[in-house]
Amino acid sequence: MANLTIYVIRRLLFMIPVFLGVSILTFIISNAAGDPIALIRQGLRSVSPEVLEALKAYYHVNEPLHIRYLYWLWDLLHFNLGRSLSGSPVINIITPLILPTLMLQIPSIILAVAIGVPIGIYSALHQYSKKDVSITTIALFGYSMPTFWLGLMMIIVFSLYLGWFPSGGAAGITKIWWGSEFADRIAHLIMPLSVLTYVQFATFVRLMRGNMLQILREDYILAARSCGLKERTVIYKHALRNAITPIVTILGLGFGSSLAGAPGLETAFNWPGLGYKFVQATFSLDIPLIVGITVIITIMLMIANIITDLFYGLIDPRVRLG
Amino acid sequence: MEPLLDVKGLKTYFFTEAGIVKAVDGVDFKVEKDETVGLVGESGSGKTVTSLSIMRIVPQPGRILAGSIMFEGEDLLAKSEDEMRKIRGAKIAMTFQDPTTSLNPLYTIGSQLAEVIREHNKDLSKKQVTEQVIKLLEMVRISEPELRIKAYPHELSGGMKQRIAIARALACGPSLLFADEPTTNLDVTVQAQVLSLLKDLRQKEKMSLVMITHDMGIVAEVTQRVQVLYAGMVAEVADTRSLFKKPSHPYTEALLQAVPRIDQRKDLKVIPGNIPNLIDPPSGCRFHPRCPYAQEICTKKVPPLEVTDNGHLVACHFWRNLSLAGA
Amino acid sequence: MRIFKKTKQKTTNKQETTTTQRRGASQWAVGWRRFKRNKAGLAGLFIVLFYIFIALTSQWLAPYPPRSYLPLYQGEAGQPPSWKHPFGTSKAGLDVFSEVLHGARGDLYVGVGATAVSVLIGLVIGAIAGYLRGGAGDFILMITQVFYTIPLLPLILLFARVFMILVAQGFGLTLILLLLGFFGWSTISFVVRGEILRIRELEFVKASQALGASRWRIIFHHIVPNTLTPVIITASLLIAGNILTEVVISFLGFGDANTSTWGITIQEGITYMRTEWWTPVFPGLATLFAVLGFNLLGDGLSDALNPRLRD
Ligand SMILES: Nc1ncnc2c1ncn2[C@@H]1O[C@H](COP(=O)(O)OP(=O)(O)OP(=O)(O)O)[C@@H](O)[C@H]1O
Ligand SMILES: [Mg+2]
Repeated sequence: MANLTIYVIRRLLFMIPVFLGVSILTFIISNAAGDPIALIRQGLRSVSPEVLEALKAYYHVNEPLHIRYLYWLWDLLHFNLGRSLSGSPVINIITPLILPTLMLQIPSIILAVAIGVPIGIYSALHQYSKKDVSITTIALFGYSMPTFWLGLMMIIVFSLYLGWFPSGGAAGITKIWWGSEFADRIAHLIMPLSVLTYVQFATFVRLMRGNMLQILREDYILAARSCGLKERTVIYKHALRNAITPIVTILGLGFGSSLAGAPGLETAFNWPGLGYKFVQATFSLDIPLIVGITVIITIMLMIANIITDLFYGLIDPRVRLG
Repeated sequence: MEPLLDVKGLKTYFFTEAGIVKAVDGVDFKVEKDETVGLVGESGSGKTVTSLSIMRIVPQPGRILAGSIMFEGEDLLAKSEDEMRKIRGAKIAMTFQDPTTSLNPLYTIGSQLAEVIREHNKDLSKKQVTEQVIKLLEMVRISEPELRIKAYPHELSGGMKQRIAIARALACGPSLLFADEPTTNLDVTVQAQVLSLLKDLRQKEKMSLVMITHDMGIVAEVTQRVQVLYAGMVAEVADTRSLFKKPSHPYTEALLQAVPRIDQRKDLKVIPGNIPNLIDPPSGCRFHPRCPYAQEICTKKVPPLEVTDNGHLVACHFWRNLSLAGA
Repeated sequence: MRIFKKTKQKTTNKQETTTTQRRGASQWAVGWRRFKRNKAGLAGLFIVLFYIFIALTSQWLAPYPPRSYLPLYQGEAGQPPSWKHPFGTSKAGLDVFSEVLHGARGDLYVGVGATAVSVLIGLVIGAIAGYLRGGAGDFILMITQVFYTIPLLPLILLFARVFMILVAQGFGLTLILLLLGFFGWSTISFVVRGEILRIRELEFVKASQALGASRWRIIFHHIVPNTLTPVIITASLLIAGNILTEVVISFLGFGDANTSTWGITIQEGITYMRTEWWTPVFPGLATLFAVLGFNLLGDGLSDALNPRLRD
C-alpha cells in the first residue's frame, strides 16, 4: 500500500507540469502582440473602454512580462479568470457550460466502454471469423471519421430528411416530443451522444481486441492451461483481467482527447457547451474567455487522469515507483 | 514394463502467414517410470513444441497433425478436451522457459497455486487448500511461506519465481514433469539450487522428469537418458553415459564438442551454420548442410532411425562408418 | 556453459532477436513479404498511393481551378450531382468534385508535412530522453508527457487564430502544418525513447559496447535501423490523426480560406445542408477514406514489421 500511495502522489505531482505547461502556452500566445490588451484590440469586436480598463488591471500590463505571468498564474489558481470582453466575469460564463459538455462526455465514455470492451473481447476470441471482420471494420470506420462530420450526416438524415430528432441545441422552444421538457432534452441529446459513443466505442474495441490477442499469446496463459484450468477460467480470469487493466489508463486519455475534440462536435450540433463557446470566443479573440475555457478543460482532464490513475493503482499490483 | 510415456511419429506444424512451420516432424519419444530424460537441441529444434504437443496445449496457429501419444497405456490424442484437462496438472505437468512470464502478474502466487489445487481437488476446504499451498512452498524451499503467499510475482526474484512455477507444476503430484529450460534465465548459483531441488523432488515424489535444455553440462549431471532433437526430428537417443562417451550422430558430436571443459584447454567450438528454416527445411537429412561428414546421399534421403551396436537410436546414414569423438 | 547465442527465451520473442540482429535489406524484404499477405494493409497502401496520385495531379485532373466560384456562380450554383458536376456544386458556386480533388493536395500537404515536423522533433527529443540518464532525461520525459496530456485542439485553434491575425497573412496552410507538427511530436518521442532503452539492454549491443564500439557506431548500426520501423508505423497513424485534425480546424473556420481543403468545403456546405447535402457529404467521405487508408497502412506495417505484435 505504501507503494500505491507514492504512486498516487507521483501522479498528482505530474499534474503540476501539465497545468504549468498549459498556462505557459496560453500565456505566451496571449502576449504575442506584446500584451493581451494589444492582442484583443486586433480582434473583430468592439470592447467598451470600461472592460478594457478592468482587463488592463487584471493583466497588470504595466509590469514586466515574468511578473505579469506570476500575477496571472496566481489569479488562475484562485479561479479569478478575469472578465470576458462582454463584461461579465469569465467564470460566470463558463460555469453553466460545464454541465452540457459533461452530459455528452461522461455518458458516452461509459457507454463506449460498456459496449466496446465485451465486443472487443468477443472479436479477439473469434479472430478472423466473419463477425470479427465486421466488428473490426465497423470500428475502423469509427476511428477514421471526423466526429463532427458524422454528426452532420446524422443531422442531414435524421433531422433534416426524416425529422425524427432536432437538428441542434440542447433544448428547443417547441418541444418536439410530446411537448415534454424532459423528453425534449433527451431528443436533443440522442444524436450527439450516439455519435460520440460510436467514435469512442471504435477506439475501445480496437484496443481491447489488440490487448486480448496479445495477452492470449503470453506464457502465463499457456501455463494456466498446462495446469488443467478450465478454458473459461483461463480466458475470463487470467486473460481478461490482464487485457482490461491497461484499458483503465486509456480511459483518462480517451476522455481527454474526446474533451479536446469538443469544439468540433459541439459546433456541429450547436451544443451549448465549452467547446462551442470556445470556438466563438476564439473568433472574437475574447482572450480571457478562451484562456478560461482552456484552463477549465485542462482541469477536467487532470481530474479524469487522477481518477483513472487511482483506479489503475488499485487493480494493478505492479504499480510501483517507476 | 511398458513405458510411462510413449510418443510415436508426432507431427506438429504451425500454419503461419509466412508458411507452414514444421516444428515437430515425426518425433518418437519415450519416458520410463522414475527416470530423468534430457531433451536437447539448439534453439528452435522443437523441444518446447514437443512438450506442448504432449500436453495438447499447442497454441494457435499450431496443430498436431499425426502421431500417437500413449500415456499410462492410454492414447492422449484420443481423449476429449475435458478428459485431457483432468490429466494436465494432475498427471503431466510443465514448467515454462521463462519464469518471469509464466506467472500471471495480477494474482498473488498463493492464489495461483490454490487455484490449481482446487481445480483438481474440488472437495478440499479453503483451509486445507491454504495448508497445501504452504506445504508446496516449503517443498520448493521458499522461506516464510505464510508471508510469501500474499506476494505478487513481480515482488520475487527470478529463482523464486522458477521455484513457484515448479511448485505449481507439482501441486497435484504429477507422474511426469516437463521442466523447460528451468535454469536458463537464472544466475549460476541459483541454477545449481534449482537443479538440486528438481533432482531431490524427482526422487521424493517418484515421478519422471523430462529435462529440456541445451546445456550439456546439465544433461550430464541429472539425466539417465538423452534424446537429441535437430530441426524437429530425432537425431539420436541414448543412455547419457554412453552418449557422452561415444556419440553416434555427427550433430551430437558437435554438441559435445561445443561444451567447454576445464581439464582440456580446448577451444570452445561453435557449430558452424544456423539451424535451418523450418518452413522450407533442407532435403534429406536436415543436418547435412552443417555436417562435416555429409555425402551425396545425405542430401537426398532422410536417414531412418536405426539401433546401433551399443544400443543408441540414431538417424544417420553413416553411423557404422563414423568414429565420433565424445566429450 | 551455454552453447548457442541466446538473447531471449520466450518463443514469441525469438523473431524479435533475429530481426534486431539481422537487419538491412533482408529484414525489409521479409517485412514486405509479410506485408503483401496482409490484405487490409495492402488495401491501405493502395488507398494511400491513390490519394498521393490525386494530390500530385489535382491541378490537371480537376475540371475547375481551386476556390473558383465565379464561373459557376450564375446558373450552375447549388446543383445536385450530375455528369457535369459529379459531386454537385455548392450554393456559392464551387464544383465540389474539383474541391475534393484539390483538397487531397491541401490535406495531404498538412497531414504529411506536419508529421514530418513531428518526426524530426520527436526523434531528437526522444533520442535525448533515451540517452540522458537521471534528472535531465526525466525532465525531457516529463515535457513529452505534458505534450501528450494537454488538450491539443483548443491550443492549436488559439495559436492558429492569433498567428493568423499577427503574422500569417499569406502563410496559409503552412501555419496549420507547423502548429500540428510542433504540438504532435510526443508519441514519436515516446516510441523513440522506448526503443532506445530497449535496444540498449539487448545483449549484443551491450557486447559491442563492451568491445569498445564507438557511440556513433552503435547509434548508426543498432539504434537508427531499429527505431526506424516503429517510427514509420507511428508516423503513418499520425498522418491519419493530423488529417482528421486539419479537417476539424478548417471546418471550424481556422484554416486558410484561399486554399482548398476538405474541411473548408464541408464548412461551406453546412448552411444549406438541408437542400444541398452533397456539399458536406463528399469531402467528408474523401477524408474518411484517406484517414482509413493511413490507418490500415499503419496497422499493416505494424503487423508486418513489428515482431512483438505478431502471431
Ligand atoms: N506460436 C508459434 N507460431 C509459429 N511458430 C512457432 C510457434 N511456436 C514455436 N514455433 C516454431 O517452432 C519451432 C520450434 O520451436 P520450439 O519453441 O519448440 O524450440 P525450442 O527447441 O524449444 O527452442 P528454445 O531452446 O529456443 O526454447 C521454431 O522454429 C519456432 O519458430
Ligand atoms: Mg523452448
